[in-house]
Amino acid sequence: MLRGENNSTPAGRAYLRRFWPTMISYVVALFGATWALRHFHPTGAALVVLSVLPAVPVIAIIGVMGLYIVEERDEYLRQRVVSGMLVGIAVSLSVMTAWGFMEEAGVLPHLPGYFAFVLWCAGWGIGQCLLGLRERHAGHGA
Amino acid sequence: MINRLKVLRAERNWSQGDLAEKLEVSRQSVNAIETGRYDPSLPLAFKIAELFGLAIEDVFTSPSREN
Repeated sequence: MLRGENNSTPAGRAYLRRFWPTMISYVVALFGATWALRHFHPTGAALVVLSVLPAVPVIAIIGVMGLYIVEERDEYLRQRVVSGMLVGIAVSLSVMTAWGFMEEAGVLPHLPGYFAFVLWCAGWGIGQCLLGLRERHAGHGA
Repeated sequence: MINRLKVLRAERNWSQGDLAEKLEVSRQSVNAIETGRYDPSLPLAFKIAELFGLAIEDVFTSPSREN
């Protein structure tokens, strides 16, 4: 989600060092938990643990993003990332709210709650693009 | 916020990258401040002014005095 220039700062590099292992652990947890749920049909505590397992790395990724905000010393880059995140919040809350009402009316199918994070990430990406475009229109000096 | 950053930088033959390095910020930050798209925090404004050996008001124009 961070743009190239963010990755040039120590905080940005630390973010990447934390992001990719966490992302890989998400993929492993997702496929592992799905496979175990289908093959073992667990119940009780095992079902709870296996069903929540993929959410743990996602929560960790949110923590990694939060750490970046705390650790980034470049106030302009930090402000831009936070602005992008605010766009993400606006997009995810808007879509989830509208979807919820339309789902209740039977217009749309059920949308699992974890899509809120996906929508937030997409909104953050849109926000970063819009900020980048604004920057390009403002022009770059030498 | 209107500022004289570009002029002060040009007087010293510094590129945006040079100034960014001296201020320990990204080149994008220098560009955003120069073009008035981002107002630096007070600590960063002090750092900029001190780098040029000037007072803050000699680098940045008070918004109430613009125009």
